[in-house]
Amino acid sequence: MSDHSAHSSHGPITRPGDIADHDDADLHHGGEDHGHGGVGKYLLVFLALCGLTTLSFFTYSPYWPWRDEPQVGWAFMMAVSCTKAMLVVLFFMHVFWEANWKYVLTIPAAMMAIFLTIMLVPDVGLRNRMVSQERALHMARPSDVRLLEQAAESKLLSDQAH
Amino acid sequence: MNAHSLSLPNDHGHHDSHGDHHGHITLQYQPGLPLSKGKLIMWLFLSTEIMFFAALLGSYVVLRFGAPVWPKPHHVHLSEPIGAFNTFVLICSSVTIVLALEAAKANKASLAKIWMVLTLVLGSLFLGVKAYEYQAKFSHGIYPWSPRSRVFEKPDLYYGSAVRARLGEPAMIDRLKELDDTPEDKLSAEEVSARRRLKQVRQMVTSIDQQPFDLAVVADQVMPLPAEGADAHGGHGPKGLNDIFPWLQLPAVIPGGNMWASTYFLLTGFHAIHVIVGLIVFTILLLYRLGPKRAGMIENAGLYWHFVDLVWIFLFPLLYLF
Repeated sequence: MSDHSAHSSHGPITRPGDIADHDDADLHHGGEDHGHGGVGKYLLVFLALCGLTTLSFFTYSPYWPWRDEPQVGWAFMMAVSCTKAMLVVLFFMHVFWEANWKYVLTIPAAMMAIFLTIMLVPDVGLRNRMVSQERALHMARPSDVRLLEQAAESKLLSDQAH
Repeated sequence: MNAHSLSLPNDHGHHDSHGDHHGHITLQYQPGLPLSKGKLIMWLFLSTEIMFFAALLGSYVVLRFGAPVWPKPHHVHLSEPIGAFNTFVLICSSVTIVLALEAAKANKASLAKIWMVLTLVLGSLFLGVKAYEYQAKFSHGIYPWSPRSRVFEKPDLYYGSAVRARLGEPAMIDRLKELDDTPEDKLSAEEVSARRRLKQVRQMVTSIDQQPFDLAVVADQVMPLPAEGADAHGGHGPKGLNDIFPWLQLPAVIPGGNMWASTYFLLTGFHAIHVIVGLIVFTILLLYRLGPKRAGMIENAGLYWHFVDLVWIFLFPLLYLF
C-alpha cells in the first residue's frame, strides 16, 4: 500500500477530493497488495471443489454404505456443500483477504436465511400433521407408491399371451 | 449538522467542503467502508440475493420434508450424472472468471479476454444442459403449471376419468382407430405388445367396476416409475405407453410429483435467470479492453458469478441427491 501514500491511504481520513477522484480500479489496488491471488492457489481450490463434488456424488453410487439411512447421506452432503460454499466465498470471492466489513454484510444475511427457514417450519413444514378428511383422501400417500410398485410387480397385462 | 461534518476540522459550517479551497488542508471524514462503491453495492446486492435464495431453498426444504410423499429423483426423470456434470461446468466457470480477473490486473488484456470468453462458453454450456434436462421433464408431461402438466398424485378415480377423457378426444379416437387398423407386420414387436396393452388399458378405464389396483396398473402401463439407477433420459428404464406412442400423452401418476415440479422449476428457473444475467454481463464486458482499468468491473461481475455458482452448490445435492 505504500505506493499509494501520495494520496494518503484508505483509512478513515482522506482528502476531500479523494473519494470523488478515485475510480473503482484505483481502490482495488488496496486489496491487491495483500499478496494473495496466485493462480496456483485458485487451481488448488478448484481441485478441492472437484474432489468435494465427487464426494457428494459418491452418496449416489452403490458403494455408499448408508443407503438405508438417507439422513446420513443428507448430513454428509450438506457438510460437503457448506465446505464448498466456504471455499468459493473465501478464495474465489476474496473474502478471506477482505477487511472486517465482510462480517457486517454476511453474518446478518446468513442469520436471516437460517431464521427464515426455521420460521417456515410450523406453517409449512408441519402442514400435513393435521389435515382434513377430504384432503387426506386426495393427497398422495406412501400407500400410493406401494400400490404402484405392486402394480408394476404384478405384470398383470404384460404376462398375458397374445 | 450531522456526525459527518462534526469531525471535520476547518469546516466552518460548510457542509460541502469540496469547493472550499482556502489554501489550508481540509480533511474530510469518509463515512463509507474501505472498499469501492461498485464493490460495496455488489456486496449489498449479494446479501439481498442470499436472503432471496435462502427463502427459496428454505421453502423447498420445508415443503419437501413436510410432504407425506416426495418423488425419488429417478421417478421424475432426474439424472444425477448430468447434474454432477453441470456442477463441474459451473465450478470451472468460476475458476475461469477468477483467472480473467488476475489476467486483467496483470495487464494481460488479451489473456483476460480468452478467460472471459471461456466463462461465457461454460455458462452457455450449463444453460444448454439445463435446457436438455427441462426437455426430459416436458416430454414426460411434467410441467410446473396446470393445463399442461399431466401429473396426477395418485391412481384414483380422478386419474381414471382423466385417462378416459384423453382417450375420448375426437383426434385421439381417429388416431387409435388408425393404430388398431395397422397390420401387425408394419409394427415393431414392442409396438405390437404395447398396442395390446393399450387396448386393455382402454377397457380398464371404461369399466364400471374399477378398483384402485386396476388404476394403479393403468398408471404403471402409461408411465412406470423407473427403478433406481434406470437411465433418466429414456434409455434402459421400463418403457411406458407414453414412451412407445409419444402422441398418446396420457396422464401419468407420480405421487408428490406436482409439488416437486413446482419447487424444481422455481428453484432451477430462478437460478437459470441468474445465469442468463451473468452471461449478458460477460458479453458486455467483452466489448471493453480488459486491462487493469476494468479490473473493478470484472471483479464485481465475478462476485456475482461466484454467487450463482454458490447457489448451484446447494441446489445440486438438494434436488438431485436428496
